[in-house]
Amino acid sequence: MTRATGRGAVATRPGLVWAVPAAVFFGMFALTPLLLVAVLSFTSWDGIGDPHFNGLDNWTALFHDPVMLQSVWTTLLLTALGVVTQTPVSILIGVWAAGKQRNRAVLSAVYFVPLLLSATAVSVVWRAVLDPNFGVPAQLTWLFGDGNLLGTKSGAIGVLTFVGVWQFTPLHALIYQGGARAIPQVLYQAAAVDGAGRVRQFLHITLPQLRNTVITSVILMVVGGLTTFDTVLILTQGGPGTDTTVTSYYMYQKAFKSFDFGTGSAIALVLVVVATLISLAVVRLSGYDRMRGTAEGL
Amino acid sequence: MRSRLAAVTAVTALVLGTSAACSSGDSSSDAGAGTIHVLVYGDAGNKVEKQIVETFNRTSKVKAVLDTIPGADYQQKLQTVINSSRAPDIFFNWGGGSIQSFVKADLLLPLDGFIAEDPGLKNNFLPSVFNSAVIDKKAYGIPMRGTQPVLLFHNKKVLADAGLTPPKTWDELLATTKALKAKGITPISLGGGDQWPTLMWFEYLYDRIAGPGLFQRALGGDKEAWASEDSRKALTTLKQLVDAGAFGSNFDSVKFTDGGSPALVAKGKAAFELMGSWYYSTQQDANPDFAKSGLGYTGFPALSGGKGDPADVVGNTNNFYSVLKKTKHPVEVAAFLKLMYSEEFVKAQLAIGNLPTTTNTPDHFDLSASPAYSKDQYQLVKDAPSFQLSWDQAYPPSAMTPMHTAIQQFFNGGLDADGFIKAMQALPTS
Repeated sequence: MTRATGRGAVATRPGLVWAVPAAVFFGMFALTPLLLVAVLSFTSWDGIGDPHFNGLDNWTALFHDPVMLQSVWTTLLLTALGVVTQTPVSILIGVWAAGKQRNRAVLSAVYFVPLLLSATAVSVVWRAVLDPNFGVPAQLTWLFGDGNLLGTKSGAIGVLTFVGVWQFTPLHALIYQGGARAIPQVLYQAAAVDGAGRVRQFLHITLPQLRNTVITSVILMVVGGLTTFDTVLILTQGGPGTDTTVTSYYMYQKAFKSFDFGTGSAIALVLVVVATLISLAVVRLSGYDRMRGTAEGL
Repeated sequence: MRSRLAAVTAVTALVLGTSAACSSGDSSSDAGAGTIHVLVYGDAGNKVEKQIVETFNRTSKVKAVLDTIPGADYQQKLQTVINSSRAPDIFFNWGGGSIQSFVKADLLLPLDGFIAEDPGLKNNFLPSVFNSAVIDKKAYGIPMRGTQPVLLFHNKKVLADAGLTPPKTWDELLATTKALKAKGITPISLGGGDQWPTLMWFEYLYDRIAGPGLFQRALGGDKEAWASEDSRKALTTLKQLVDAGAFGSNFDSVKFTDGGSPALVAKGKAAFELMGSWYYSTQQDANPDFAKSGLGYTGFPALSGGKGDPADVVGNTNNFYSVLKKTKHPVEVAAFLKLMYSEEFVKAQLAIGNLPTTTNTPDHFDLSASPAYSKDQYQLVKDAPSFQLSWDQAYPPSAMTPMHTAIQQFFNGGLDADGFIKAMQALPTS
């Protein structure tokens, strides 16, 4: 008796062989580098000659390094701000763009443009727009004061958050658009018969139905936020002082500006561990791992 | 996500070694019997380097090959290849801290042997410049390209309109600052967002107040130098200038590199800017009319009671060619280095706007885009009892980030004098 006839539905699932190509690539380009970085984190290496093992030196130094701790907090803060600001905007735009009118399709396409630009180009442009003497702040002094946006902690974090919203909302709006389109129209028709207005429909049908989409989008935002790099590199260079030195940028500074690859590797590992833990936590807490559908009872 | 992966793979690429990254170059120095490789920073200056290599190859049996690395990647690439079989014979650097780790790893050839054979390799260059590639009393570099002293630039019209003249002393600078503020003009433009322009103020203040000795002591590992009375006085003096509003309040949001701070001066919104001698060509590029008639310059003001000579300058002394110990063609390398004081070299450098630091440079000033500017600069460097290499290049690369951070924080009030001193004492010196 073959498994196919014995187990029915299970037999149609793909076999383990299908995972081989992906596993090989993952091993080559993710696991091997990760292992090498792990080894490097126990060495002192300036890029010249051979790395020397120095035991836990990098790690103990890192745990006593105020900048490291600060960088983790800054990273978490920026990630949280990203999720909090991008999610509502993306949901509203995504649900709106899920409509059927023709002008919406055109507007949605225009709206999508920021995502197509490289983060580097985006940062350079925003840097120019926000120049305190020749940019927007110089025109709107009642709003921006002396325009010292990138020279203060709150200003710099605000700018990074804002640029994040500007750049990544299109992607998440797209995801929500897909999610909103998949909601069965029957639900809205039934609600309309019962006399529910648009706001009620949105709150009681759209949002609950978008639950899994929200989780997907939030995980993407969290992972993206934890590894923010390019905007920090160009907009703030981790400054003023170390106020926007996020962990990924700190890793870059240590490894590629200070030629301290051992410490850089240790920071990279911290980032991998923190990002993995947070992603797992989001998946667990949201019940995403149980793969519950939103179409039950239909 | 993408950035983390990129960084991780970049580290891996370095781990996996130089073999993969650098195998694309043509015959390496150990393979072909007849070549010396010259590694340089890739930019507009390569025009002259190409010409010199051609000149050399016309007469030499051992041929020189010029390898250029795009500027942003130069140091990383150098760090990767220097201890591998792909290492060049001769390479471009900034002297001082930029080659210190290579000297320590015993990779570089002291050039004293070459100089003994041909004293011209030393005597044909300005001493204040030549000395910044001397480590542990041994010469490790021959100047190439041009010198870049830091000067105090100003907008002539702004000063004239306010009835002011360029300040010769610190007190005059303070008085000028006050007068300009009263007129609603930012006295001094500063690209604090780049951090290194802020550093220039520290370099000059420390030199004027304590003399060049303090920084040299600190660089040598004497951490007490930073806590000395002179050091504190320099910080207090600087802080007074910042607190007086000389730089305005939003300097950390302004950059030099994107044209922000030079535009302030060119448009008359600010009067002064302290910057390297490339400022002239920066302005010429962005605001040609202003560069032609409105841009003035002076040396950094003298400070009464200070121990430093008012003729001292700071900045990028020059770029240098250093030689790898394991070069197989030392004789040809020495011959190549001699071209760095040749007439052809000087003329070619002046033609692209650089100011070479050979003693025969003044003979060819008429070739410069602005002879008077070149002449003044050259005289300044020649007369300088001390030419302090920029702090961030005098220290090893690992000190650069923490130094820039402390500089920025002291200026914006994030650190007080004690905090700054502590941060500087924590810098690695070797």
